Formats: sequence, structure tokens, C-alpha cells
Amino acid sequence: MSKVYILGGAQTDFERNWTKEGKGMAALLKEVMADGLEDAKLSFDDIKQLNKDNRVSCFVGNFIAEKYTEQGHLGAFLTEVDAAFYGVPSARYEAACASSSVAIDAAATKIRADEYDVAIVVGWELMKTVDSAVGGDFLGRAAYYDRESKGIALPFPKLFGKLADETLKKYSELDERRYLDALAQISVINFGNAKRNPLAQTRRWFMSYEQASARGTDTNPLVGGKLAVSDCSQVTDGAAVAVLCSEKFIAERGIKNKPIVKGYGHRVAPMLFEKKMGNNEGSAYILPWTRQAVLDAYGRSGMTVEDIDVFETHDCFTSSEYAAISAFGLTEPGKEYEAVESGLIAFDGKKPVNPSGGLIGCGHPVGASGARMFLDLYKQVTGTAGEYQTAGAKNALMLNIGGSATTNYVYIVGME
Amino acid sequence: MNIGTVTVIGATGTMGANVAGIFASFGNAKVYCVGRDIEKVKRTIPRIVKSVRADAIARNLIPADFSMLGKCVSESDLIFESSIEDIQVKTEIAAVVGKAMKPHAVSGTGSSGLSIHAIAERYPKELRSRFFGIHMFNPPYTLNLCELTPTKYSDGRLKEELKEYLGGKLYRTVVEVKDSPAFLGNRIGFQFVNEALRYAEKYKDNGGIDYIDAILGSFTGRAMAPLATSDFVGLDVHKAIVDNIYENTQDYAHETFVFPRYADKLASDGKLGRKSGKGLYRLVRYDNGLKRQTVLDIDTGLYRDVIPYVFPFADKMKKYIAEGDYQKAFERLVNNHSQEADICLCFLLNYIVYSLYATKEVGHDITAADDVMAAGFNWCPPLAMYQALSTVTDVSVLIRENIPDVCEKIDIDGLLDEVKPSKYDYRPYFKSGR
Repeated sequence: MSKVYILGGAQTDFERNWTKEGKGMAALLKEVMADGLEDAKLSFDDIKQLNKDNRVSCFVGNFIAEKYTEQGHLGAFLTEVDAAFYGVPSARYEAACASSSVAIDAAATKIRADEYDVAIVVGWELMKTVDSAVGGDFLGRAAYYDRESKGIALPFPKLFGKLADETLKKYSELDERRYLDALAQISVINFGNAKRNPLAQTRRWFMSYEQASARGTDTNPLVGGKLAVSDCSQVTDGAAVAVLCSEKFIAERGIKNKPIVKGYGHRVAPMLFEKKMGNNEGSAYILPWTRQAVLDAYGRSGMTVEDIDVFETHDCFTSSEYAAISAFGLTEPGKEYEAVESGLIAFDGKKPVNPSGGLIGCGHPVGASGARMFLDLYKQVTGTAGEYQTAGAKNALMLNIGGSATTNYVYIVGME
Repeated sequence: MNIGTVTVIGATGTMGANVAGIFASFGNAKVYCVGRDIEKVKRTIPRIVKSVRADAIARNLIPADFSMLGKCVSESDLIFESSIEDIQVKTEIAAVVGKAMKPHAVSGTGSSGLSIHAIAERYPKELRSRFFGIHMFNPPYTLNLCELTPTKYSDGRLKEELKEYLGGKLYRTVVEVKDSPAFLGNRIGFQFVNEALRYAEKYKDNGGIDYIDAILGSFTGRAMAPLATSDFVGLDVHKAIVDNIYENTQDYAHETFVFPRYADKLASDGKLGRKSGKGLYRLVRYDNGLKRQTVLDIDTGLYRDVIPYVFPFADKMKKYIAEGDYQKAFERLVNNHSQEADICLCFLLNYIVYSLYATKEVGHDITAADDVMAAGFNWCPPLAMYQALSTVTDVSVLIRENIPDVCEKIDIDGLLDEVKPSKYDYRPYFKSGR
């Protein structure tokens, strides 16, 4: 079995609105692929050469381009990016907002099994092709559409609003004010971190604790139960590329100082939110399968939370980042607010979470988010995150979820 | 620099209001919003809140009128004057501010039409070291350029602290510029826009205004075509900027700052653009909700439908840009020799050259031109434009071949020697649209 190395990659500027620019998926993929390969020091000619010996493959993560852009067959679409992809094995992987994580998993598995030497992962979504109501309905397909989304305006804010309600219900000692304060702080941390990230969607936006707490006002309306706009991730256009390779390729090219995938976890919880909650009754965790995916990654890598220097998590809503804190093992379940209040997860804290700004600050092009997080782990552990570089990051962990924490994907990336 | 309280003078004006919002939000400062009529200030507050999309800042905004100015200033760490561009008015304000200002406070003006030195000299001698030009762009929430102009009196260390505050706390792209008419962003931007306005007249038989806009549309690296931009900001603003530059500067592009007579007539007739319902363009709205974009015919002075021009070079460029094939798009531009492509290319090359030239005169660093055009205009910055065209050919050769008359007038070799890679990515600026 080969180790799985990460050579590099790229993400697009998540501030961009490709529809307003009059550009579609072909332009998006051409740009991100050119940037990603350049960062990984590969050329299109390299791809051609590798493909002659069937040593390269592509893995496309995308949730629902069929709706947003009327396009399917997305693996094959890479042939439109460059003729170098003619003949290169390529397919699309889907698991809602965890789509590019499942693409990474497939890519890593092929490398591990010595099937290919270079595996290119690209995750993407163009979401600004429609208005937020229509887009919200499309996203409802990440839940059980007929039962949880159909005919419901903005189903996902409502589901994660329910997660907030359920969190308060499960941990009866948790004071509601304290909980909502922690959620507001989580939002502020993510928006604040995004200011250091030159590719973050919200890097120019204003957010403060007061604004995040002013839920139910004109500029921060409630969108799902107790959650307001400031608790939500963004509607984003974007793509991210991560290039993986084998030990053989590393040796062949004399490449040095590249990180490896040290472990992963992949667990699927019941699709229906109600069943998910029913399923957690015997557990101290509100999202036990999310916790299990983290434990699996720790187990596979032989690591614990102590070994992880920085995290990227799936803050599709503040309530999901809150639940992730204990799933990572940063606090006891039910005490997640401690990690917020103590500054543990702040940018300059001991265990920074989402230095990129996360889905709230950096943005959330759903099919790209897993690859974007993975790339951010790479940047952190290689010391190439620029202004949002955290101090002394050697090992990093990401959690990418699909649906209402239905698909749970965890990766640990670190230097050897 | 610790700025807890700010006084904004002229807070009911567009810039005053929007800048108050920046201080109150990113700066989290208590902001005294001073206007002539306190009721009008009160009515402006919701607009300020909306400008930064944050109800939470409302409590930071305190309405005040001129009778309260002294008291507001005496409590403030920073005073930002955004009154009308009239030295008499500014002199009166300086008298009040000069008397009431705390010794450690900083004072600034948003003026872009008057000499910053002249305004500084209206302040008491001992306070001049604490005075700066602080010129922001509208709307500052989305265009975050801040041109900072020190005077010969300004304290150097204070300048650095102010830069740090404006950049680090208010998230502005801070560019230090000299006290030169219109500073750098508008000097470069309105050279381009005014030249387009003049070209509209020159090519009026080809269609004029919409003809030129169709040649220099968003596919040439900007959010909005230049004459649509002029119509958007208003011909009065446009005229004030170019008149100021024309009267007070002297460079090789001097004549390009002459405001054409047809536009002058529009301005004096109150046809200023979007804000007055008509100007270069006129959007006709019907009762049934339909809209029709019309444009001024320069000869007749009447408005007619905008012509949906199809220029082969532009059409191809847009198609290539839509597909992300930027290099192919620029190839079409460079290799097509229709009248329209030639005009377009010359405008872009002139833009690069004038930016390099003006930066030397008004800025401090070659990258200043890039910062002002990206953060102040949302146009593909000049060095990035250079890079974009470099994917096709040697741009220095292109410049010498296409705009030889300009090259003759300046030290083109010296200017081109300074070209370096841009920190901006040119791709997002080239759009596939009008």
C-alpha cells in the first residue's frame, strides 16, 4: 500500500459571482485546474505523459449541477478543460455537501492501492445561477426531499435551527443565552478569520458580536428557529483542486516536504433529521455518527485530539460547528461553549478552528467545500497559508458533512 | 491608534453618511453625525445602518447639528470633514474644529476637489501636523480604497499610525498619494472616462455614446462601461474632477481632460445622469413596469434606443471569456484590425501607460496604480492588464506600435522598465457581457 501524498492545489476566489461575470462551469474548471496543477508543479503535458501509462485519474466532487447549471456527466466534462484530459479516467462523486470528500476518498483509495500515481480531485459548485429561494429548494435534496424539504422555504436553515433546539433539549443544564452567545461568537470568529484569507467570500463584510447577537433585526433576520442570517454559511460560487500522488511518484521526482493523508473517517447517519435525533438517545453526543467518524480518523492515524494543531470544520450553520467541537474531543459533549468562551478555538488559540473562515466566512460552494478544507489543511501543515497561517501546525483535521450531518467525512493531514 | 469617538461633519451627504458607517462598524467607534439640520441627520441614520448591513451599529451613530459641533469635536479622537467642496465652508469648519480639538486627536478631510495643503492651512499651526486628506470611494463598503494624503506639515509617525488604523481596523486599501488634483484613482480613471466621452463625440456618426461603451464594455476588464460609469456617478461629479485636473495639472494627456461641450450642456441643463433621470443615458420606465434604455444622440440632443452593436472582435472576446479562454480573447483583440478593435486596444494601452505615468507623479510606488484601480474602480488594474495582454504578445512592443504619439511625449522606456507582475489576478475583471 502506498502512502497518499498531497502535492498542492488551488481554490478560486470565493467572492466571485461567475454568473455576473458571464462565465460558466467550463471557465470555472479551466481556471481552477490551471491554478491547481501549477501549484502542484504539474503541466498538462505531464498529465498526457502520465496518462499514456494509465497513471493518472480525476475525481470530481459536485452536489447538484443538474439543477444549478443543467449539466450532468461531470467526470467527462473535464475533457472540456484541456485536451490533456482525453482518455484520463474521470468520474463524479456525490454526497451532498460532502461530495468532494467522497471524491478525495476515492482518489486516496486508488493511490493507496497503487492503481494510479497521480489523482486530481476537483470539487465545484456554481450556486448563483438562481435566487436564494430556488437554490434553497435545490439544496433541500440533501435531506429527504419529499418529507423534509418539498414545499418548505429554506429547508436547511430550519433543520439546523432544529439542531440548535435539540442541543438545548439534550443538554438540560445548558443555558439558552449562553448557547446562543457561543453561536454568535462562532459566527464572529469565522467572519473575523475570513478577513485574513484573500480568497474568502466575506473578507470585506462587516460582522460583530453585537450584530451576530441582534437576531431578528432587519439586517439579521431569523431564518430557522433561533438561528439568524449571521448563523448561516454563504451561497457561493467556487471550485477547489487538490492533487494527490503516490510514494512512487514522490520518489521518482525527488519531491520533498509534502504532507500525507494520515487517516480518515466516513460514517453515515440516518437520513431523516428526526431519526437522527432518535438515534442519539443512548449517546452523550448529539451527533454520534459525526463523533464516530472523528474517532475512526483518530484510530486510523494513531492520533488523538492532542496531536491535532488546527481544524477545519463544516460550519454550514453555527449549530453544526458547535456540535463539532465535542465531536473533535475539544470539550466534553454539552460543554462546547467552554472552547468558545476560553478562546481555545480562536485564531490565536491553542486549537484554532477554521482559520480560513470556514463555510460562514470563506464561503460554501457545496460541492467544493470538502476539497477546499482539504487544501486548507495542506496549506496549514506546509506553512503556506499566508496571512491565515496558524502557528506551528503539523497535523490538521477536517470535518465535512453532507445533509443534516448525514454523511460525515473526516480527514487528518500532516507531515510525515 | 485608539479611535473611540469620531465626528463626521457633513453626515447627510452621500460620502459623509457612508464613511460614518465605516467608522461605526469596522471601527466600532461612537460617531457624532453632524449636519446642518438635525432632523435630516436623524433621517439619514437608517441609510447609514443599511450601508453596512448592520442594525447593531445604530447605537454608535449620534445625530448632531452644527451648534453642537464644538462639543462633538472636543470629545473626538478623529474628526472627518466631508462638507461641500468650498474653501470658505471648510475654513469656517476648521475654525470650530481647531478650537475644540483635543491635542492628541487626528483631523482629516474627504475633499478631493481642493488642495489638502490649503485646507490644512486653515487650521491653527500647532494642529496642522495632525491633519490629513482621507479620500474614500463610493460606496466605501464595497469599494474600499482610501487615498491618504499627508501635507508638508503632517507628522510622519502619526501618518503611519493612521495608515495602520485605516488598513488594519477599517479594512481599507490604503494608498499614500501626493496632494495632487483628484489624487491618483480619479486621475487615472477619469482620464479614461473623459477620453471615452470625447471619443463619443469624435465617433458620433458611428453612434457616439453607446458605440464607445460597446467598444469598452465589461469584456475589457471593468464592471461597467466608462460612459455608463459617468452617467452613474453624475456628469457634475465627472466635470468637477476633470476640470480640477485640467486647471491644475500639466501633463502629456492634458487635452484629454477637457470636458466636451455637449456634456457641459447636459450638465448645465441638469441632465446629470442616473440621479436626475437622464444624462448620457435615459432609462424610460412605463406604467406596466417595462423599461427601455435610451441614449443621447449627440447631434440632435434627443434620446434614442441603445443600439445592440455587434462587433466581430467584441463578440468573439465575450465568447472566449465566457469559456475561460482569456488568451484567445486577447488574441482577438490584438489581431483584429477593425476600427473598433483598434480603438479598444489603444484605450487599454493608453490606460496602462497613463497609469504608470500618473503613479510616478502622484503615488509613491508603481503598485499604487494597481491598488487604486482595483479597490476604487473595480477595473482590471494596469499591471494586471499588462500581464493579461502579455499572454499574447510583448506589450512594450504593442505600446510602441499602437500609440507612438504618446510614446514620443514621454520617457516610455523608463516607464516600462518599472513594470512588474501584478498582485491582482486579471481574470475576474474580464466579463462576458456588455
